[in-house]
Amino acid sequence: MSTVVAPSTMRVTSARRRTVTRAAIFVAMVIMAIVMLYPFFVMLIDSFKTENQYLAGHGTSTQSWHQLTTTMPVYQQLLNSTIVCTASIAIILVVGVMAGFAFAKLQYRFGNLVFLGMVSAMMVPLQAILIPEYVNVAKFGLTNGYLGAVLVYAALGTPFAIFLFTTYFRRVPDELIEAGICDGLGYWGVLWRLALPMALPAIATVTVLQFIQIWDDLLVGLLFLQNPAERPITVGLAALAAGRTTSIPQLMAGSLVSALPAMIVYLGFQRFLVRGLTLGIDR
Amino acid sequence: MTTSPTLSLADAPRRARRPSTSLLTRRRRRVGVLLTVPAFVLVGLLIVYPIGQAIYYSMTYWDGLTTTWVGPSTWWQALNNPTMWRALENNALLLLSVPFALAIPLAVAVMLHQRVAGWKVFRSIYFLPTAISWVVIGLVAEHFFAYSGTLNSLLGHVGLSHVHTDMLGSESTALIALGITFVFSTIGTNTMIFLTGLATLDTSLEEAARIDGAGSWRIFRHITLPHLSRFIQLAFVMTVISAFSALFSLIFVMTGGGPGYSTTTMEFLVYQTGFNQSQFGTAALYGLILFFITAVVGIVQLRLIGAKD
Amino acid sequence: MAEIVFDRVQKTYPGGVTAVTDLSLAIAEGEFMVLVGPSGCGKTTALRMVAGLEEITDGNISIGGVVVNNVLPKDRDIAMVFQNYALYPQMSVGQNMGFALKVRNVPKAEIDRRVREAAEILRLTEYLDRRPKALSGGQRQRVAMGRAIVREPQAFLMDEPLSNLDAQLRVEMRTEITRIQRLLGVATIYVTHDQTEAMTMGDRVAVMRGGLLQQVATPQDLYDHPVNEFVAGFIGSPPMNLIVAGLRERDGSLVLSFGNQEVTLPASYRSSHTLGPAVGARVVFGVRPEDLQLATGDDHVRLDATVDLREALGSEKLAYLSFGDDAGIVENEAAAEDGPRRRRSRVVARLGARADVHEGQRVTLGLNAAHLHFFDVDSGASLRDGAHEARS
Repeated sequence: MSTVVAPSTMRVTSARRRTVTRAAIFVAMVIMAIVMLYPFFVMLIDSFKTENQYLAGHGTSTQSWHQLTTTMPVYQQLLNSTIVCTASIAIILVVGVMAGFAFAKLQYRFGNLVFLGMVSAMMVPLQAILIPEYVNVAKFGLTNGYLGAVLVYAALGTPFAIFLFTTYFRRVPDELIEAGICDGLGYWGVLWRLALPMALPAIATVTVLQFIQIWDDLLVGLLFLQNPAERPITVGLAALAAGRTTSIPQLMAGSLVSALPAMIVYLGFQRFLVRGLTLGIDR
Repeated sequence: MTTSPTLSLADAPRRARRPSTSLLTRRRRRVGVLLTVPAFVLVGLLIVYPIGQAIYYSMTYWDGLTTTWVGPSTWWQALNNPTMWRALENNALLLLSVPFALAIPLAVAVMLHQRVAGWKVFRSIYFLPTAISWVVIGLVAEHFFAYSGTLNSLLGHVGLSHVHTDMLGSESTALIALGITFVFSTIGTNTMIFLTGLATLDTSLEEAARIDGAGSWRIFRHITLPHLSRFIQLAFVMTVISAFSALFSLIFVMTGGGPGYSTTTMEFLVYQTGFNQSQFGTAALYGLILFFITAVVGIVQLRLIGAKD
Repeated sequence: MAEIVFDRVQKTYPGGVTAVTDLSLAIAEGEFMVLVGPSGCGKTTALRMVAGLEEITDGNISIGGVVVNNVLPKDRDIAMVFQNYALYPQMSVGQNMGFALKVRNVPKAEIDRRVREAAEILRLTEYLDRRPKALSGGQRQRVAMGRAIVREPQAFLMDEPLSNLDAQLRVEMRTEITRIQRLLGVATIYVTHDQTEAMTMGDRVAVMRGGLLQQVATPQDLYDHPVNEFVAGFIGSPPMNLIVAGLRERDGSLVLSFGNQEVTLPASYRSSHTLGPAVGARVVFGVRPEDLQLATGDDHVRLDATVDLREALGSEKLAYLSFGDDAGIVENEAAAEDGPRRRRSRVVARLGARADVHEGQRVTLGLNAAHLHFFDVDSGASLRDGAHEARS
């Protein structure tokens, strides 16, 4: 008789406990969210103060926002960041897709070796090659203009892109490629007309990750885009922070402006990010 | 056309096999090579070649104007430079934050994995700080840790105003502040990695264990964790490499390497030596040391992963 | 002239593995030729060499009289239907079917016309705008065929197109494919491992094994006059019973002995088969399941057996029998890819639907001695006179 009674009481208890647990988890997630969102709170609140209000600790005003454009050429810098990001990502995508497809499906002698070389280039930290890189770029006069920085960003981002694209293209069935061949395409045509449309999620993933990486980068911009007219926004922000007379609210306003595009791109593409990472890691 | 009854291969006439590569194979190889050339050139010129150059530069004395070949003795000099050791020491101390940078995301990922209402929104929120620049985070962090900053006011509200610190102003605590900020920044990425790992876990394993009577903690320890080991390793490698190369922006904005050299890590030292002190040769050398460290970490990890699989 | 000819074709992979050895075969214009055999026999490799997807190590393949060894697949004017259909996922059915034409810059009007026609033949007209992932397996298979039809090629090459379909669909599609091929009159090479498909669909069937062509003949010919043990055991379901028996001369007649049974052979076998060398030794003889029935009064050859297992299929009953208590060596060669493999198994008799047998029962079988097959016990080759002459 007790065996008949026990299961039902057990069920009730665990259901209640489950709800409590879930509620606790929810609370914990909210707390975590507050912590993670803290920088944004700060930026929002503090940017809407004047210097004095900030020091005093209360008050709101949009003055710092108005002043931002005079202290820092925001629009110009945003434009610079956009140009550099777009150009670098374009190169990374084109070079990466081509190489990824080749490594995945077009075997040739020593191909595997080259692939290994590409992938291990992922492990090279920027600082290791920074000095020679700077010297080379300066020698070719490329510290003026975007090209130098774009090339550096492209070179840094390509290995990872190749890694992801190769993994992705490996999943394209060989039969599909053979069907394309029989239908009259060359391998070049197979890549652009058949394989590429299937790789859109991977492209989105690479785009998001590289965008965040390049948009948020400081070091390359600092060294390779020294012309103030070409400064990306991160460098502008850092310069502002290093200045003696900078007001914190303005700095916060500038930070918000800098952070917004990356956030928007991330939020817009995050579906692909999850899918792409799953593919890349789960091999 | 003859029907051939049970011919054995021994009966087949021996013929000289002329090596034939079909047109299709040749085309495939050609296109394969051509498609990899741009990547090869880009990465080769801008990443591989500079490494060689760095090795060369590291053995010169170079102040931006004149270059004097000195030879490997520069390496001995560097090894005797206390600043470099300080930087390495700082890097090593920062590694102490790695366990936190792994444990917290793990907990968060497990939490998210429970799929409590709204978890997708929370997931987006947790990754948001990763999307914004370390420069921005650094600025906010500096503001947080400053003497007149938020940390102190929080402590004040809680009644601990006597504990007011100037974390960034004191040598002993600046690095800790840096470490905390570093952990904060990597939570998003690592959470994502672990969440992916949890998503690939076969739920039937978990269910079988529950039927067998295992409690949640036991399930976590014996089923979830082993499956996640691959992802933990990946996160570990990425976090460590990040700790050695990605902190530049934070340091630049938060402390500028100071006070003193207490927050100067190798990646910052390269910049400082090269561009503030114009000692390109030495800077190149420091860069190489950095590369060496990250390469070792990467290879060791590969061995470990390879051994396990 | 859409004739396909294999001329001593060989395929050896770089590692040394030879997939196809010395294959010579001619497919006539409009003919439906089936390549059949167990996995690894080289049939798919042979097909892919015709398509141009595999290199030809030695020998020549010609299509329409032209040697195509060094011609790219797209220039060979052939269309291939893949085992997994290989449909382009991001294109609609109509676009999939028209793709090859689009690549060749055929005018749009012409593409539309051909696609519509093919869609009608295949009853796909209402699906033209759908994506492959919204289609069932059978529909996808038809789209794959449609893609080939639209090309109006010199030859169709089909690589096990039905193996991913469930049993019922397979039967349906078998007749579809045959119908369409007859309608279009295009030479077709069809690869399968299913001997039923081979028998029902092919004008002629080429049986391959271990890279070697065993026999090529019409289905009926293969069934009635297999050229070796392997073909005999491969074609026909349930497979032919193959029994190793001793052969003796007694009182002017030939006598087979196996297990605890003896069979006196009709005299006609002396003239139609070369059995001389086997006398006093052993021989493999084969009898089809339908040639073993429950003995009636006027059967000349009677065998005593025990029913070990019985399968009632509704339309017929299959009885699995053994002769004597294990004393008999009843061997049945499994359709193996490499060397001959002989396993102990049982003799199968195909009895009528109403035959009254049950397991454990001792029965007397009547053997139709007019339709026995004889094979050399070592090589497996048929001992029938004229079996190895050049045919068709």
